[in-house]
Amino acid sequence: MIGFIKKDLAMMKSNFKLLGVLILVYAIMGFMGQMDISFILPFMCVMIMISSFSYDNYNKWDAYSISLPNGRNNSVKSKYITTILMTLMVSIITILLSFMISFVNTKTVDYEQIVVTMFGTLFGTILVLSIMYPIIYKFGVEKARIGIFLIVFGIVIVGGFLVEYIDFSFLTKTISLLENYLLFILIVTMIVMVFISYTISKKIFRKKEF
Amino acid sequence: MEIIISNSSDIPIYEQIKEQIKVKIASNELPENALLPSIRTLAKDLHCSVITTKNAYEELVKEGYILNVPSKGFYVAKVNKEIVLEEQLNKIEDCLDKAITIAKMNNIKLKTLKEMLSVLYEEEK
Amino acid sequence: MENVLEIKNLCKKYDHFELKNVSFSLPKGMIMGFIGENGAGKTTTIKAILNIIQSYSGEIKIFGFDNRAHDKEIKEEIGVVLDDMFFPEILTPNDINKAMEGIYKNWDTKMFHAYLKEFSLLPNKQIKTFSKGMRKKLEIATSLSHHPKLLLLDEPTSGLDPVARAEIIQILQNIIEKEECSILFSSHITADLEQIADYITFIHNGEIILSKATNELLDKYGIVKCSEKEFKEIDKKDYLKYKKSKYEYEVLVPNKKEFKTKYTISVIDKITLDDLMVLMIKGEEE
Repeated sequence: MIGFIKKDLAMMKSNFKLLGVLILVYAIMGFMGQMDISFILPFMCVMIMISSFSYDNYNKWDAYSISLPNGRNNSVKSKYITTILMTLMVSIITILLSFMISFVNTKTVDYEQIVVTMFGTLFGTILVLSIMYPIIYKFGVEKARIGIFLIVFGIVIVGGFLVEYIDFSFLTKTISLLENYLLFILIVTMIVMVFISYTISKKIFRKKEF
Repeated sequence: MEIIISNSSDIPIYEQIKEQIKVKIASNELPENALLPSIRTLAKDLHCSVITTKNAYEELVKEGYILNVPSKGFYVAKVNKEIVLEEQLNKIEDCLDKAITIAKMNNIKLKTLKEMLSVLYEEEK
Repeated sequence: MENVLEIKNLCKKYDHFELKNVSFSLPKGMIMGFIGENGAGKTTTIKAILNIIQSYSGEIKIFGFDNRAHDKEIKEEIGVVLDDMFFPEILTPNDINKAMEGIYKNWDTKMFHAYLKEFSLLPNKQIKTFSKGMRKKLEIATSLSHHPKLLLLDEPTSGLDPVARAEIIQILQNIIEKEECSILFSSHITADLEQIADYITFIHNGEIILSKATNELLDKYGIVKCSEKEFKEIDKKDYLKYKKSKYEYEVLVPNKKEFKTKYTISVIDKITLDDLMVLMIKGEEE
């Protein structure tokens, strides 16, 4: 298991630099009071991991991994764990940076605001990964890439449509009702999403032949 | 110990190995009780398959030239050198027989044959 | 003799190809050459052994256990080189070492580095900078470094020059010397196998045509070369296949000694695996 994660992390080595640069850009922009791009960072982790599927695919790693002990399970599990680990790490770094930026710029830190923003981002990221990974395992990364555009467009268009025509006041009411539990609910939903997604991916991969 | 095998020869490789070990035993290059290389080591060193060397050793055991001591290896048995020599002489006889048949068919005289033999024998040296 | 690998009636159907009742077994401590043309079913068989394909019928036993029921334990003891499948090429041998440490219980870092050195592979260079031969060597080094008891090598010498091939053959013989390992070695370069393989299994169109001790094949089988008139006198029971060319008939006989005593045809050539393959596939029966 650990071996598979190490392999996925090793593949990300060159991308860590890119992430570092992005974090730096974010910090500089933040300290200068420019746009806040923190939401991009966790999302980048997932994008980078998706690119790792292409490398795997190119050298038929998936087929090879089955020849290794417990390869059929671990190969999928490690992708989820590595992605989530990376996303969490980057999120923590971003949160700490946000604290500093906020402190330097305004002499106060709005903890709640920052944490909620971050969790919102994290939620989005986990949502994308939970939808994407089973699709990648089912249809391959090339087709899934097209899928991701369709999904993002779909969400934007449907979201726009809903906002336009449906009265969301009941939702805001519920949300304000749940405000105290919001973080808790977000976390639980994320865990459930990942779990369902992982179960589906595992099932798909278990039946796969090469 | 030198064993030279030819892959292009018509004689099966295990027989080539067998014969050469026999000769070495007859000439005392492999004295009684000498330990032979293991089947697998010999296969590795001669670049042949394990079954080949195994066959060679099994036949040598059957013919009484070597002994298989379980979990220890193969040792040169006590062999009657004269019998070994006799066997080799028999082989020479067979070959000479063939030569004589051809000679007679073509009216070649014994003298010519003897001359040929001595020339060839000297050349080989 | 104990069998390390036993395949019984393996069947797998694809649209354009099918494995038909593939059965053979590999005794412990032996090398088996698995030969056949490209597309004959070698890779498919090996994939079935490894459960890379699963929806097949038949039985595969490794170390005496069902390969599907004991997948994990069995794979701890198997080393593989698969045609075209490996770690992603942006990784380095060092990365592979770190990953494998966490994958195999018996992974031997020292041994892996010793092989890298022997093959002159730089541990911190990305695989994509390696030549095809170097990649194959890396794959072989990777397959050997957890002390496997069974090696499944799918075309491990393809694309290698003669010197590298000889190196690899030597390493396989070194491993076999210790008797703990058995090897299934697929190749279409039969010269590699003629020398070191104890058994030859020959697959054609998804069917096993023969599976025999190499000795028995090379020492007993022969190619008779004769004229049409002579050929007509040969009993059909005494040959397997024949090929007619402009000047002669090439006839594959399963027992050249017997043939010599029965017929007066004088030219009986020693057979090579290549001759055997060509005659078995291209030769005619009637």
